[in-house]
Amino acid sequence: MSLIEAPSFKRDLDAPKLNRTQPILTMHGISHRFGDVRALQDVDVTVYAGEVLGIVGESGSGKSTLLRMMNLEEKPDQGDYRLAIPGATANLFALDRFARRMLRARHIGIVYQNPHLGLLMRNSSSGNVAERLLISGERRFSALRSRGRQALDASEFPTERMDAPPIELSGGMQQRVQLAKAIALEPALLLLDEPTTGLDVSVQALVLDTLKRLQRERAITMVLVSHDLGVIRTMADRVMVMRKGRVVEEGLADQIFQDPQHPYTQSLVHAKL
Amino acid sequence: MSYVAARGGEQAIEQSERLYRERLGTIDATRVDAIARSLPWLVDRIMGEASLYAPRLAALALAQSGGDLYEAVLLLRAWRTTQPRLAVAEPLRQDKLFTHRRISAAFKDIPGGQILGPTLDYSHRILRTDILDGAGLEPEPVEMSPEPAPPHQPSLASWQKAQGLVVDFERQDVPKQDIPDLTREPLLFPAGRAHRLQSLARADTGGLMALGYAVMRGYGPSHPTVNELRLVEADVEISHPRGTVFSAGRVRVSQAEVASKAGAETIDLGFCATLGWNEVKIIAGGTLDLNEPHATKGSPFEEEFFLSHTEPVEGAGFCQHFKLPHYVTFQSTLDAMRDARRKQAEMASQAAAEEPAE
Amino acid sequence: MKKLSQLTLPSQLMSYGFLDPSAKRELRRKLLKAIAIPGCQIPYASREVPMARGWGTGGLQVTLTLLNSSSVVKVIDQGADDGVNAASIRRFLAKVSGARETTDTCKATIIQSRHRVPEEIMREDQILVLQVPEPEPLRPVEHHISAARQMHADANYARLWLILYEQMVRTGRIMQATEYPSLVNGRYVMSPSPIPRWDVPKLHMARHLTLLSAGREKRLYAVPPFTRVEPLAFSDVPYRVEDHAHLTCSRSGLKGFFMNEIPKDDGGSHFELSDSGFCEKTLRRAAGEDVSIGATWYRNGVMS
Repeated sequence: MSLIEAPSFKRDLDAPKLNRTQPILTMHGISHRFGDVRALQDVDVTVYAGEVLGIVGESGSGKSTLLRMMNLEEKPDQGDYRLAIPGATANLFALDRFARRMLRARHIGIVYQNPHLGLLMRNSSSGNVAERLLISGERRFSALRSRGRQALDASEFPTERMDAPPIELSGGMQQRVQLAKAIALEPALLLLDEPTTGLDVSVQALVLDTLKRLQRERAITMVLVSHDLGVIRTMADRVMVMRKGRVVEEGLADQIFQDPQHPYTQSLVHAKL
Repeated sequence: MSYVAARGGEQAIEQSERLYRERLGTIDATRVDAIARSLPWLVDRIMGEASLYAPRLAALALAQSGGDLYEAVLLLRAWRTTQPRLAVAEPLRQDKLFTHRRISAAFKDIPGGQILGPTLDYSHRILRTDILDGAGLEPEPVEMSPEPAPPHQPSLASWQKAQGLVVDFERQDVPKQDIPDLTREPLLFPAGRAHRLQSLARADTGGLMALGYAVMRGYGPSHPTVNELRLVEADVEISHPRGTVFSAGRVRVSQAEVASKAGAETIDLGFCATLGWNEVKIIAGGTLDLNEPHATKGSPFEEEFFLSHTEPVEGAGFCQHFKLPHYVTFQSTLDAMRDARRKQAEMASQAAAEEPAE
Repeated sequence: MKKLSQLTLPSQLMSYGFLDPSAKRELRRKLLKAIAIPGCQIPYASREVPMARGWGTGGLQVTLTLLNSSSVVKVIDQGADDGVNAASIRRFLAKVSGARETTDTCKATIIQSRHRVPEEIMREDQILVLQVPEPEPLRPVEHHISAARQMHADANYARLWLILYEQMVRTGRIMQATEYPSLVNGRYVMSPSPIPRWDVPKLHMARHLTLLSAGREKRLYAVPPFTRVEPLAFSDVPYRVEDHAHLTCSRSGLKGFFMNEIPKDDGGSHFELSDSGFCEKTLRRAAGEDVSIGATWYRNGVMS
């Protein structure tokens, strides 16, 4: 692989988009320690094409660490990670830093709770989306403009404000810029890390509506991490409950919310309802 | 005639230098010796920043530059870099240093004792204007103590290490020839410990003071305590190819260890040493060293920031260079600016034309 | 037994070419490395020289290493041979090496320059040494040297492109004036030093060797002969040099070269060739002297 030419993992656009039996993401045996703390213990995750997997758990449960690993920002002590994208057959944790970076840039989108982590606050909003396109090798200014506008529009961002810097925008708008950036390259996987936490309830509902619409129209595979059961319930097809670095329960969303099996899940669900 | 494209530039250079030197008058060995004798602390400061121990050359540099410290340091550095490196001296050992002054703020008394040595710390800073009226200031004779202080003292840190209060550094056995030498290698980041301490040793006193002071005022998490501060004379020991170790002379060295309680169990130490006696510099430098592992990313207390920006020759030179003509750069900027204005004016008039008439 | 004086060389007040042999050896090695990896910044010790940092100490060290007594040296500052600093550096170079001085681009073997590339085409047997204040093109987007080095290793230049994008969005054109980031040999983005955009194309596939050296920042890099130098530009927004093609030099009458604008008392301005050596030769030829003027990179204001 040449150093300059980014590895080409072209998505097979003709593949059936809603084959929910086909795993997009498989993680196996993920274990990680921070000093003496066992952050993750032997966690397995499977995410199927086109579904939304919700991960719930209180802070310290390991859910955000797991998401950072899905985004290849962090490597676990042990474990295997595969994404079903042509050209990437190996354990992604075994890739070198450069290949990981390219893969992340092209195939994984992420929306952080804190927009400062995902955005250059003083660049234009469209520029934030353009950066993604630039990494993928887009060098036409006109295409950067039009593709940036499309992505912002799809995120229901008012495109007449596309050149305003995020620092001048409201929290909800900043999340829409993050979302536009995340979906600009049609990622195989969209990661959402508490994307609406901290927003007003009404704004939160609007952002969730956008996410749902995108999911419906584009069948984007999503992993949504939240401590908020309401958000998970609105969005997720399947739910994974985490506690102290372990998965305590996993199942279809309806099943988890109506008939929780694990005592911890029961306490969560009942506290919420 | 503008200075930028001054025809006969050489003539102008020559005369401007003459103007400068005229103000300094005749410089001779007598003046140099007078400076060396009367301004030992200034000479020490210059030697530290130049990383060249040569009191007479430092005095010469001060005479030649008329006391412009950055000029003096540059003169010495530029001379130093042309000199061959003949040998690498033996490492200094704390308990072998001839100690003039040694204090600790961490304990009331320490093994070996607190030795005040020469200092103005407790004097009243009164400007003696009567000297201008003809009075003389004869130093009063020093009264000998009945028991002379021992010339050598153990280091406080070794006592603390024995007590388990301080975690010892892992020892590295590096052949002397392979000890990194900042004067012959670029400083890269993250810097090795050797490069960091060398860079602090030749840093600008004022620059270190400003940044170290900022840490002390609370911009950094470490609040320093002077664990041990020493002003010493150290033998420069060279080993002869036949194996004998001999002293090639003595140099004045100052060193400071500053302490902070890092965890519940052990004390962290920051360290700074320099050629010559310069207490403010080493306390500030030691504080920056101590604080570095806890520095916030992007803050001035990260090593990359404070080492890059306390380099006296680089910093002073760059400030000076802005006096050089920059008209090509300026012309190029002007071109882009005019064109952008034109474009914006066109766009505005277009927009005005498209506006429907009321 | 030999006496000490027999074991050592006679003491000299100063090494030939000022720098001592260990410094020159390091520079030679680093220069070779820089030529081998076009556009890649190579750290070097960068000794202090008898000149303040920021005044061409990087260029000076490279030139001092390359000079020998048969060299012919030209020094320019902002295009001019007679700027005070250029004159001072040229005088120093000649003094410590015995090299001859010239203001004629065609006659020089080494040209040390601050912020300009001469207008006359340079040849295979000539070396251009550019003084560099800031070697790191990524500095505006990444202050940390260590992080910037990682970005170069990854050829991660999206943030530089983003600067150009933002300029287009804000002003409708690329505002980057000098130090225009340029991709060398398809691999490393370099800062070509603060030469105007006018001069960047002269480095592309040039016959001569260009060495760029930053003394204060302790980095040197090179554009070897016949190497691609491509200013970063969107495929649908062509790279534009300064709009100087139509300007006429009020001294020489020449047109189509990079000019200095000189404000006039009446509120207007007139223009003079920035390349003073070239201007001088044109004037002397006009006065009837037999002066040879080389072919120029730009003809009728267009890069040929």
